[in-house]
Amino acid sequence: MSNSDLFAAEGAADKHGYVIRAVDVKKVYRMGDSETHALRGATLDIHRGEYMSIMGPSGSGKSTFFNMVGGLDKPTSGKVYMDQVDIAQLDPYELAWLRCRKVGYIFQSFNLIQVMSCLENVTLPMSFAGMDDEEAREKALGILERVGLKDRALHKPAEMSGGQQQRVAIARALANTPDILLADEPTGNLDLRTGEEIINLFSQLRKELGVTIITATHDLKMLKASDRIVWIEDGLITRVTTADALDIQVQEIH
Amino acid sequence: MREKKQRMAERDTGGSAGVATVAPQSSIFNQQSSIGSQVRLPFRTAFRISVQGIRIRLGRSLVTVSGVVLGIAFLMSNLTGQLIKNGVAAKREARQQATLMAAMVRAEIGDVRDKNLAVLVCGTLRPYETELLSTIVAAKPAQLRGLGLTQEGVTPATPSTLGAGAGVLLVLGDAPSGAFALEELTQGMTQKVVLEAEAARTYAGKAALEAEASAVRRELFFGAQHEQQKARMAKEAQQAHARTLWIVVISLLVTVIGVSNALLMSVTERFREIGTMKCLGALSSFIRLLFLIESSLIGAAGSLMGVVAGAILPLLAYGFTYSFVTVLGSLPYGWLMLAGAGSAVVGTLLAVLAAIYPATIASRMLPASALRSTV
Repeated sequence: MSNSDLFAAEGAADKHGYVIRAVDVKKVYRMGDSETHALRGATLDIHRGEYMSIMGPSGSGKSTFFNMVGGLDKPTSGKVYMDQVDIAQLDPYELAWLRCRKVGYIFQSFNLIQVMSCLENVTLPMSFAGMDDEEAREKALGILERVGLKDRALHKPAEMSGGQQQRVAIARALANTPDILLADEPTGNLDLRTGEEIINLFSQLRKELGVTIITATHDLKMLKASDRIVWIEDGLITRVTTADALDIQVQEIH
Repeated sequence: MREKKQRMAERDTGGSAGVATVAPQSSIFNQQSSIGSQVRLPFRTAFRISVQGIRIRLGRSLVTVSGVVLGIAFLMSNLTGQLIKNGVAAKREARQQATLMAAMVRAEIGDVRDKNLAVLVCGTLRPYETELLSTIVAAKPAQLRGLGLTQEGVTPATPSTLGAGAGVLLVLGDAPSGAFALEELTQGMTQKVVLEAEAARTYAGKAALEAEASAVRRELFFGAQHEQQKARMAKEAQQAHARTLWIVVISLLVTVIGVSNALLMSVTERFREIGTMKCLGALSSFIRLLFLIESSLIGAAGSLMGVVAGAILPLLAYGFTYSFVTVLGSLPYGWLMLAGAGSAVVGTLLAVLAAIYPATIASRMLPASALRSTV
């Protein structure tokens, strides 16, 4: 259990507690006779209000870990607690509730519903949460204003640039004021400048709303903005570093 | 529920050996760690998304709709054709029967003109009997006395005065028994001839034997041969009906498969959209609802168009073959409406049926599929 000793105990005395705890998470995918060990015992605690980045080459189990932490997948063994609730114990209705209110998802390719306007995209999770239409509209306009897109509320996603679409996606993720924002390579499809805008937006949101941000990313600017960086290799968490420590490495490479 | 989950969480944490780092449970934390159960199925939202989905993918939706249109138009055109044929054929058959009966009457008394005739109607008149009566009236008899019917050109009579001076007594109608005695009815007839439309009809009063004794001759309009022919024709019609039914069922099955196939494609195309909605908190039943609504809208639109097309096309076809006056005059409009409504309902239900499998596939998609970045 060297992993848990090294990484899980970090900040144990944090007065805000942990928003997500992954304990010895293993995931095995079975395809016929062959077994793929995507995760081989990952242990990690994520603090409330933290900005954490997950790094790793493709095939490292990074996406699997990301899905577990976000309540999108259940581990084969080990436990994932979100707010101290073991997500493996939840039935589909409770999982849907969790995804609706606790977690906001942001995707690399934005995944806005193309047939709906920006406003409708943002109000959709609210209507899933049972908010009445007028209230949802007001709140959505407020959030869109927060991400700087209030004047484009009635546009369709196809009429907007990638950066704008991603900001709508962030607004949608914030719809039900989640505790956690889960972003899968949020700057992956964006150019450097718009990517930077998105990163700045993340930092502001974290400061203002105290939301926990977890990203899977390869973007160095994104890594630099985060509190902690988790490295996953071959199904194991091999390193947890701070952004400062990474900075030195970046300098060395260049 | 909330307590149960927490207890589970605590027990599980404690149970994992070697994990010393149980999170400190601050009071703030506990308040936030309740998990509710998602139950909302916003029907209006689902309806809006479905309508928008159809509008955006209008081209493909129209192809799907046209599949339903074809199937339902085929069903409806068969029904309409059947109704028209029945109407026209019934009219033609009535005329044939009436001609036959009129010939019988002539065989008994010669030309009807300036003769006296008597008619007794038991129950209600059949179409060909009505036709016969109008033929007789048109042939200008001296007097046509009637009992049990009021019609222009027919003089009302009582049972005792009905027969006086008449050459023949016609007994028509569909009731199995007459309320009067034949003897009384044929009073005053020179030749007591009764032309009977119903072989099995019985009469009141004294028994038939006595009536025979009193020299009443009872003849039938239609002999046994005629009945056989009718039965054969009915059997042939039934066989043709079964064949048509089979083809209609096959065509509807093809429609169902077509709609199902189109929806399956739509599902695989929209995996990311479906996954995203699930990430946003949509229940599986919401996704299923989405596809069921879309399909029922497609089905309803296609059915309505199919019903209209399937009613108009046979009307035109038969209208040109016979004549529009005959076709439109003999069409039972009530039945036509019923056939239309039935076809529309069938089309919509079949479209929903076709959506069940694709909708189930869609509802089982994992939320994580939204993360797949490949297009």
